[in-house]
Amino acid sequence: MKEIMKKIGMFFLRLLGGIGSFFKKLWKHRQGRVGLIIAGILIVCAVFAPIIAPYDPYDVTQRAEKGLSPSWEHLLGTSITTGQDIFSMLIYGARSSLSIGVITGITIAVLGSILGIAAGYIGGWVDTVIMRVVDVLLVIPTLPLVIVMTNVLGTSYAVIVLVFAAFGWTGLARVIRAQVMLLKNANYVKAAELMGASKWYIMWRHILPAVSNLLIMSTALTSAGIMVAEAGLSFLGLGNPEAVSWGKMLADAQSSGAMLFGHWWSILAPGVGIFLAVFSFMRIGLAMEEILNPRMRKGSSMVKVFKHLNNTYLQEVFDSMDDGSKLKGEYATCQINESPAGREMLGCGEYMLESALAEGKAEEPVTEKGGNDESAGS
Amino acid sequence: MKTSYVIKRILLTVFIFFVVVTLCFFIPRIGVSDPASRYYPPQTAGMTDEEYEIIKEITREQYGLDGTTFEQYVRYMTQLFHGDLGTSYQSGSPKVIDCIAECLPWTLVLSITNLLISLVIGVLIGTMAAWKRGRWQDRALLNASTFTTALPSFFIALLLSFYLGFELEIFPAYTDQNMVSNFDWSWEAISTVMYNAALPIFSMAIGGIVSYGQSTRNSVIAVSGDEFILTAKAKGLSNNRVIYGHTLRNAMLPIVTQFGMNISGLIGGAVVIEKIFNWNGMGTLFLTANSNNDYPLMMGIMIFMSAFALVANLLTDFVYSLLDPRVTIGEKR
Repeated sequence: MKEIMKKIGMFFLRLLGGIGSFFKKLWKHRQGRVGLIIAGILIVCAVFAPIIAPYDPYDVTQRAEKGLSPSWEHLLGTSITTGQDIFSMLIYGARSSLSIGVITGITIAVLGSILGIAAGYIGGWVDTVIMRVVDVLLVIPTLPLVIVMTNVLGTSYAVIVLVFAAFGWTGLARVIRAQVMLLKNANYVKAAELMGASKWYIMWRHILPAVSNLLIMSTALTSAGIMVAEAGLSFLGLGNPEAVSWGKMLADAQSSGAMLFGHWWSILAPGVGIFLAVFSFMRIGLAMEEILNPRMRKGSSMVKVFKHLNNTYLQEVFDSMDDGSKLKGEYATCQINESPAGREMLGCGEYMLESALAEGKAEEPVTEKGGNDESAGS
Repeated sequence: MKTSYVIKRILLTVFIFFVVVTLCFFIPRIGVSDPASRYYPPQTAGMTDEEYEIIKEITREQYGLDGTTFEQYVRYMTQLFHGDLGTSYQSGSPKVIDCIAECLPWTLVLSITNLLISLVIGVLIGTMAAWKRGRWQDRALLNASTFTTALPSFFIALLLSFYLGFELEIFPAYTDQNMVSNFDWSWEAISTVMYNAALPIFSMAIGGIVSYGQSTRNSVIAVSGDEFILTAKAKGLSNNRVIYGHTLRNAMLPIVTQFGMNISGLIGGAVVIEKIFNWNGMGTLFLTANSNNDYPLMMGIMIFMSAFALVANLLTDFVYSLLDPRVTIGEKR
């Protein structure tokens, strides 16, 4: 018992140390710092909302006259329908957006890594079943599906998080699976297998650490994506009806005729809130990617990565994967654009190149001089 | 392409479709033992339990929810096999397929125009950015992309409808509902549609333009390092010939893939935008069905969207392997 406690303690200590040094690196990165500062401010707003916000939007007695313009008393005016203070709602709104985004992001990371590693490492029927489930989920349109599920199950926070997580893990699982399939052939994994290590041990001690960078990065990016989706859902009036959220503020402003009265602040404020939250998490995710994946700093694109891979080797890699054709179809779109699929596959490509270089099947890419370093700047 | 691969791919598509349909059948039945219980009228005071049972039975039959779940499932699948997606619970009980047929063109007007505008302008801007690499045009595109990816399109739509719709009154902020009922293919009707569609299309296209621009830029830059471009330049071709005749042509492949992926989201992608502008499309249809608890209609729309995405994916895969001779799908060398 003591042994186990000690092990768990060590695990968390290592985790904390890792996260600490990681934040230090992130802080040194320009984009990462911008993201961290904005996200930090938003998190402080969310946690200390009752202290920061001048009024309590949930308190019916603290409502002022409806539809007031901005003044010193009400920095952003009051809402047209209820007379709640918009500035206070803005601060309280950070709670639902950030909590749903981050919690769902972490849930997706856990689900995606478990299923992705299982599919990639165990293979066989496990892989087939998981990949068919992915195929099915990828085809069904996400937003309508989420709407139906909230109709059936209700709109509490737990349901929203679970539904988003249940249908959002597919992309991550696919990338992790592809990476794991390549890792499976790495010498140190082979060595561990030969020494008789169990599958669980290898997955836990060798495979998981190797994909952990990808996991951290994708958690930040998926959180950002979930925040947009959550805002959309509550904008449609399908979020948690009791909570103050940015999407709902937008919906209320629109339906109560804020535009007709020229109350631009009541639309701009929640929109800027959504933008800042999504923006900061995206910056953090992209900065992490560049820190963890130094080759990305050179503004690499998938086309470039693949160009340096020996053609026959590429074919080998594709053939070794069940859905290689899909990969092939997608590889070309994988420039540094913000499309998640592009980023995912680019990560894969980087990894392939890495291992191909190690095995002497590709030449070191020649980075061109000048230009094309934009992905690190601005 | 091997024939066996094509057949395997088609069979897989059919299988996925089957699973999607099964899923769509069972989702409304999650958590309730009797899905018809949502529609039972309340038991009035003077009604005995036997009478109420009869009313329940009638309701079940009316909504097609009589018999065991398995019987319902078999009935549902047989209907679907005959191209019947079921009957909506709306008043007048129209066929689901008719509701979809009525709304689909309006969504397609939005999404196809949006896709084409994004593609054309995006490719032009991207090529320019690649050519003026590192200059202000390129930086502007990069900065734009950091902003548009974090801005939800429905917020852009709200801002546009506020500024262009309410303040300047250039475009209508809400769709004129007469546009749908009075549509008669006359020039006037078409121009009204385009006038009403301007804001929704524009608010969706901003993100699309930037995303296509960014991919084109990267692809063009990647290709322009190739030897054949050098050859073209060495032949003394004009800049324009080099860009449009040689570079862009080879850089288009990734764009084709992106286009294919966007096509699969063509009908499901505008739900929120349609709601903002009160546009009478699939998204609005779906939201109305949702607020009416009209499950057959909702599931019908989901099945239709999934089928569309499946076929689009299948075609993209095949077209892609035809376009790029380097990609040999399903063949071992």
